[in-house]
Parts: sequence; C-alpha cells; structure tokens
Amino acid sequence: MNARLQSAGLLRHAVLVTFAAIVLFPFLWIVMAAFKTQIDLLMGRVFFQPNLTGFVDVIFDKTSDFGRNFMNSMIVGVGSTVLVLVVATLAAFSLYRLQWPGWVLHSLLGWSVIFHMVPPITLAGAWYTMMRSVGLDNTYTGLILAHATLNLPMALWMMGVFIRDVPKELVEAAQIDGANVPNILWNVVLPIVRPGIAATSILTFVFSWNEFPVALVLTQRQTATVPLGIGKYAQENTIAFTEMAAASTLSIVPALILLVFAQKLIVRGLVSGAVK
Amino acid sequence: MATVSLRGVNKSFGRHKVIKDISLDVEEGEFVVLIGPSGCGKSTLLRMIAGLETITTGELLIDGKRMNDVPPRERGISMVFQSYALYPHMTSEKNMSFSLRIAGVSEKERTQKVQHAADILGLSSYLERLPRQLSGGQRQRVAMGRAIVREPSVFLFDEPLSNLDAKLRVKMRAELKELHQKLKTTTIYVTHDQVEAMTLADRIVVLRDGVIEQMGAPLDLYDAPANAFVGTFLGSPSMNLFDGEIRQGEPDAVYLPDGQHFTLSQRSEHRGQVQVGIRPENLKLVAQPDPNTITAEVVVVEPTGSITEIVLRKGERDFTITSSERLNLRAGETVSLVADANAIKVFKPDDRILLNESA
Repeated sequence: MNARLQSAGLLRHAVLVTFAAIVLFPFLWIVMAAFKTQIDLLMGRVFFQPNLTGFVDVIFDKTSDFGRNFMNSMIVGVGSTVLVLVVATLAAFSLYRLQWPGWVLHSLLGWSVIFHMVPPITLAGAWYTMMRSVGLDNTYTGLILAHATLNLPMALWMMGVFIRDVPKELVEAAQIDGANVPNILWNVVLPIVRPGIAATSILTFVFSWNEFPVALVLTQRQTATVPLGIGKYAQENTIAFTEMAAASTLSIVPALILLVFAQKLIVRGLVSGAVK
Repeated sequence: MATVSLRGVNKSFGRHKVIKDISLDVEEGEFVVLIGPSGCGKSTLLRMIAGLETITTGELLIDGKRMNDVPPRERGISMVFQSYALYPHMTSEKNMSFSLRIAGVSEKERTQKVQHAADILGLSSYLERLPRQLSGGQRQRVAMGRAIVREPSVFLFDEPLSNLDAKLRVKMRAELKELHQKLKTTTIYVTHDQVEAMTLADRIVVLRDGVIEQMGAPLDLYDAPANAFVGTFLGSPSMNLFDGEIRQGEPDAVYLPDGQHFTLSQRSEHRGQVQVGIRPENLKLVAQPDPNTITAEVVVVEPTGSITEIVLRKGERDFTITSSERLNLRAGETVSLVADANAIKVFKPDDRILLNESA
C-alpha cells in the first residue's frame, strides 16, 4: 500500500517535472545563448565560457537602437495600459452596475469577444491607412491607440468580472449614505477592485510590450518597440544570434519586475476578499 | 422622526407581480415589523421605501411628501442590510462617517457624531479596526452605527440579525429594542423570524404573496389571527390545525373524522367542513377521558427545561402541546386532552376567513 502511494507520488512529480522542463527549457536556452559567443552557439556547445559581448553590443554599441526601443515600449505600454484601464473600468462599472437592459450588456460583451478573436494583422493594414491620413503613423499616439484597441476587450472582460464581484449591497449602502455615481465608483468600488486593476494592468502591459505585427506596420525606426528591435537582429544575410538572445533576455526584465510586485498585491487582494 | 405612508403600492418585475396594492401608515416613532415567508415581498417593499427599487404604481409618502421619484439619499432614511454591507477597505470609524464626509460635514462634527454613536453601541475601542477584524456582532453594531450617525427620520432594517448565531441574536435583539426606546426613530423592520417580530414590534404586518394578510399589535395578532395562515405563522411551537366538521343541529361542536369533538364556547353560524386552530398551550392533558376530551398517541417528548413540548399524533396528523409540568410520558402511550373552549379558532377550510372570533 505504502509502496503504491510512493510510486504514485513519484509518477506525479515526474509529470510535473516534465511539464516544467517543457515550459522552462526554451527560456533557459535563450538566457544561456545570451551568454555564449556566436561560435559557441553555432557549434551547439553545452559547456562554455560565459561572456557578455552580446549584452555589451545590445546596450552600448553605437549602431544599436535597443535603448530607444526599450524607451518606446515603455511609453507605449504605459500609455496604452492607462488608457485601457480607464476605459475598461468605467465601461465595466457602467455595464454591470448602472442597470442597462440585458441586450446592451450582452451585445457589447459579445462583440468584444468577436473583436478579440480577429487576428491583429488583419487590422494592421487598415489602421496604417487610417493613421496615415490623420497624421498619426510613426507616432506614440498612433501605436498607443492601436494597442489600447487590441487590449480593451480582454480588459473589459476582466474588470467586468472583478466589478461584478463587488457585492451589490455595498453600492446600495453607498447610495443610501448619499453617494452619487462618481462617489460610489471612486470611494467604494475602485478601492475594492484594486487587485483586479493590478492584474488587468499587468496583462495589458505585457501584451502591449510583446505585440509585434501592428507595431511593425505603424512605426519606423524612431518609434520602434522592443519586439521590432529584437527582430532586427535577423537580417537578410546574417542572424546575430547572441545579440538577439541578449536583447530577448533584457526584454523579460520589466515583466518580471511587474510580476514580483503584482503577486503581493494580488495575494493581498485574494485574502481581503475572502472575508465577508 | 417621520411618518411613512404607502398608498395602493404595486410592484411588478416584468409580468410577475410581487407587491399587490399595499396600503400602510406608519406613525411617528412607531416600530413596525414586516413579516412573512420568503418570497412574500417584504424585502422588496422595504427596498421600495428605501428607494432601491422603483414603485410600479401607487404612492410612497414620507412625512407627507411624495417620495416615489426622490433618490435614496434625499429620503431621510438609513438602512441596515442583512449582510451588513460594510465597506471592507474602511475602518469602523470611516464606515460610520462615510455619509457625513460625503455630505461635507466638518471633521470636528464628524468625530463628535461617530463618537456619540460608538458610545451608544459600545464600539469606542473598535473604531480603528477593519470589518474583517471584527466579530459578527461587532460588524452588526458598526452597521447600526453607520445608520445612526446620519440621524435619519426613518430606520429600515432588512433581516439584520439573521447572520448571527442564536445567542447573539437574542442579545442584539434586546439591544435593538433598547436603541429604539432611546432614539424613538420611526423604524420599519423586515424579518421572517416570528419571535423577533413579536418581541420588537409595536405593530406587526403579516405579508403573504405580496398582500397584507393582517396587521396589528403582536398580541392582538396572536390572540385573534384573521386566518389560519397568520395563526400558524405567529407563535412557536405554531398553532395546531385540525380538519373537522360542524354538523347540522350541533352548532357548538366541531367533530373530527374519528367522531371525537371539540366543544366551542359559542355557536357557529357555519355548517360543514372547517379547520380548527388551537395553540399548544391551550390543549391540556387530563387523567380521565370523558365525552369532551380527545385522545392521541404520544410521539416525542421534548423537555426544554422550563416547559415540555410533546408531539402527539391523532389519525395521520401530528400536533404539539406544551406543558409547564414535568411529565412522565412514554412514546406510544395514549393520552386524553381537553381544549380551552375560549381559545379555539374556527377557520373556513380555504384558510382565508376566521369564522368565529372567540378570544
């Protein structure tokens, strides 16, 4: 009996380890590649002398745009996240708490799912023409608007779930206490859904950070974002693998920092929500 | 303090009518309890008074002023919710002073009012705590404190004690009554617990299916229920009902299916099938059977200390009597009972109308 339990435990762990390896291996491979020389990499050496030339090239080389890409991604990521959060929160509050007829709620949410299923690349061409005609191509504003549009459906759904979970009685109690709608939103609903806002922000930011096809169409060198910067290491004749890997490794850092902070917030939110 | 009047009030959700033509006048300082089984519309009615539900037709007047289209915050009411609905991210103090802050009351006055409410409710040492750091009873008090600081002219309570355990409920019930005696604010209180209704109310309004079945002082309703529904709803253990028949030529007796009968204190005008309602305390055990007694089999004996409840079976019907004596009865034993003729209620079988009111 005991032995059977043990072997079941072993099997379970084996499965978990396998999955962890499948998930982590590419990541590990990229990070390792960033510390290899091009020759080590192309020879497929497992053991190698770590060196920083890839990072040095990406960060300090005069011809490298990576610093600017990083900055651009930050501006676009933060800008589109703020825009998405403001719109999604207000929309979700309105949809779920201001007594719209059911068909308004459902058709809006349904439409947003359909929109979310459309591959971004199909929109990119049209957006390019539109942005050009209003002079917003190759600007932060243009890309911020595009990313906000792409991420709004998901944010709307997420904020909808969080706001729907705020007990109705709290809103009613605030109404009786004399609060008007902006008051209720600001003083009662927003403080309660803070963990939800954090989670939604992070996802929105990360999606914007990683978005490639639309950024490719709407930006040029001055406004190019990190994924484009990484892509640029693959040229027609040569692929600068180590630089590419180094840039990829660096690009993970902001998301990692965000996750560390957010985890605390999200866990705290779960705990306070558990108490009635 | 204010009066509250409902004039022919109706409420429909789509085609479903939940409140049907209710009229009710609550006097200044009165404590009115709305009671009824779940789904009878009592909470909906309260929420309509609060302004959380619209009134489909009819009029709501508070202090003589029409309030149908006035937002909740301008009705001069406070409400305590079943779930307390405390703002989870605010301390007790902030919860209680929220309405004052929104109204732009100065900080000094706010502190004063919150402190006053906290003194009344014994909350002074919990003001800095968050709701999740408080016990159920304390949360309940904070919810009441939040209602008090606004100095409303009407208090509305929606089953405020139902989330507390039995012991705490009794304690908070007494505190609520004391609070009302102190503040003398007009109060409308919703509950499904008849003990709460009996102990707290100046006047009880019994609702069923969106209609007022009866209203009046607790003991008046207890002694003279308008129909079998009110009779069985108030009182614990509840009133016993027996099917019987008033025969031609014997207007002062109700015959049970097995031929035994209850004697009435006055003649009934009605003939034919009836229901007889007798409260548990009005059925007494007697040692010797005689033509005026009925017999029944003992099913369960439940001593509670001060009184003993005995569940008996007659035919296929179980009924309950209470006795303050300590009895030595065994299950299966057959006993004889006599009913207090003055306390017997006779209802028409459809339970709507009391036939002879013998109080």
